[in-house]
Amino acid sequence: MQNKNEITLEKHGAVMLLDIEGDITAFSEPFLNEAYKNANDDDAKRILLKVGDDCYINSGGIAVLIQILAQTKRNNQNIGIAGLSEHFKKIFNMVGITKFASIHNTVEDGLEALSAG
Amino acid sequence: MHTNNNRAVEITLVNQLGYERIAMACSASFAQLFGFPKNRIEDLKTIVSEASINAMQHGNKGRNDAKVKVSLSCVEDIINVQVSDEGSGIEEFPPNPDIENIIEGREPLIGFGLFLIKQLTDRVEFNKMTGKGNMVNMSINMKEQV
Repeated sequence: MQNKNEITLEKHGAVMLLDIEGDITAFSEPFLNEAYKNANDDDAKRILLKVGDDCYINSGGIAVLIQILAQTKRNNQNIGIAGLSEHFKKIFNMVGITKFASIHNTVEDGLEALSAG
Repeated sequence: MHTNNNRAVEITLVNQLGYERIAMACSASFAQLFGFPKNRIEDLKTIVSEASINAMQHGNKGRNDAKVKVSLSCVEDIINVQVSDEGSGIEEFPPNPDIENIIEGREPLIGFGLFLIKQLTDRVEFNKMTGKGNMVNMSINMKEQV
């Protein structure tokens, strides 16, 4: 039952988009870490994570995302998240993820905001 | 707790991460039957998921031969959820996670499951011992309490 993630990296000007296919759980750790490493190898300073609005995110996935946020803070990178359902926007606000990542309704909104920032 | 057996369902999960999704889907269908709104169904799915994961990982300590039982009942406009495992309960509750401390490496990256359960339920009781192990009792109202 271990889920896999397919993560596509796309460069949009100054922003690196990480398009995450699949659920975000503890099993996502190697996939997200590899994608983040690849973004770093490309010297990305602005990163947008895109998740599906029907994506399942549990506490294990939240922990994996927070590990990524810790790294982006250490590396002075701006990070945003796009595509979250209203439920997960609420959850991310509850756990404080919104203090370290901006939340955007759409990829287009996220790219625009991060490009300007 | 008063339950009406005509408005109840019980499922047994194998002790394997990922199977909590079955309990989530079941709880969503159950809540839809009784007209719960989408936001409360999403809250219910999350608490069922997190309680099941805790039961598998911490209660049953990952044992392949153990089981997790999830019972749902609806009384008026409240859904009660009981998640049982074969463990001995939570010995030490972690404090609510502080993301700023976690990001700075001053606090371990734990406690999010329990935190979400406490935030999203209208009532929760941990460490309710049964004859076979431990149970968490949770309730969620049709209308979100402000």
